[in-house]
Amino acid sequence: MSSKRISKELNDLRKDPITSFSAGPVGDDLFHWQASIMGPPDSPYAGGVFFLSIHFPTDYPFKPPKISFTTKIYHPNINANGNICLDILKDQWSPALTLSKVLLSICSLLTDANPDDPLVPEIAHIYKTDRSKYETTAREWTKKFAV
Amino acid sequence: MSSYHEEHNTSPHTQSNPQGRREIRSEFRNLYEQLTPTDPTLISLLASLLPPELQEEWGKKSNEGCSQAFIDSLPRVPKDKIPNDLCSICFENFREDEYPLVIELPHCSHKFDLQCISVWLSSNSTCPVCRDKVNHNAKLDIDTTEAELEEDWGMYG
Repeated sequence: MSSKRISKELNDLRKDPITSFSAGPVGDDLFHWQASIMGPPDSPYAGGVFFLSIHFPTDYPFKPPKISFTTKIYHPNINANGNICLDILKDQWSPALTLSKVLLSICSLLTDANPDDPLVPEIAHIYKTDRSKYETTAREWTKKFAV
Repeated sequence: MSSYHEEHNTSPHTQSNPQGRREIRSEFRNLYEQLTPTDPTLISLLASLLPPELQEEWGKKSNEGCSQAFIDSLPRVPKDKIPNDLCSICFENFREDEYPLVIELPHCSHKFDLQCISVWLSSNSTCPVCRDKVNHNAKLDIDTTEAELEEDWGMYG
């Protein structure tokens, strides 16, 4: 069932593309996708394009896709390996969710970080205590790695 | 009175990098959650490194499934009442199936292909659409009855 569901999601994305991201299989492997997210305009990531690697498990949609950033990003919930701390990618996954909904959630995470459940506590601390310093660094990293 | 570190023969310095520890913990957690039951050696190796309370917390999800008896007892939707709609798990139209087997969750009335929801409920106990806990107390009731029965047998046996 997993490849059929993934094909359906791919067709839906091709039919109704979403402006904030694009996603599709890498080569012929339907289970390995790449996505790119536009840095949200109201965030310090604006102007950047962030690439993500996506692996669908063979028992998708009963298990969540594995998603990680391949572009370096300065964010309290994304670590140096690109791992993302997002509940719907872990215990809050539901088979009614789609890759598209997950990518939209990642876009919202870029606009509204969740410093109370950080993956990188140092960045979360700066985010909470000195927001403008966080924004400056995030903007610098965006310019350096994502433009 | 001696300090915690003196008593346990540890240096406070080895414990003083919560950030690093947290990151390692998160990586470790990812690794643990990505494991499938087909990796028994790796699971037992990782489990031996984990404190029991964390194993319980991280492993809780996989033990939260509903009983087969509960899944079998889910009310079927009669063929003439099957909606012209997609199953939220496989995204196929219910009616496209020549012999559709559609169930309705008792608590929230969300409908799914029996085949799809069975797989989900065998390791989870929430509705995929509204996340409400599906009611699976039925299993507990059966257990009580059996316990009572056994007691009766003891009395008359």
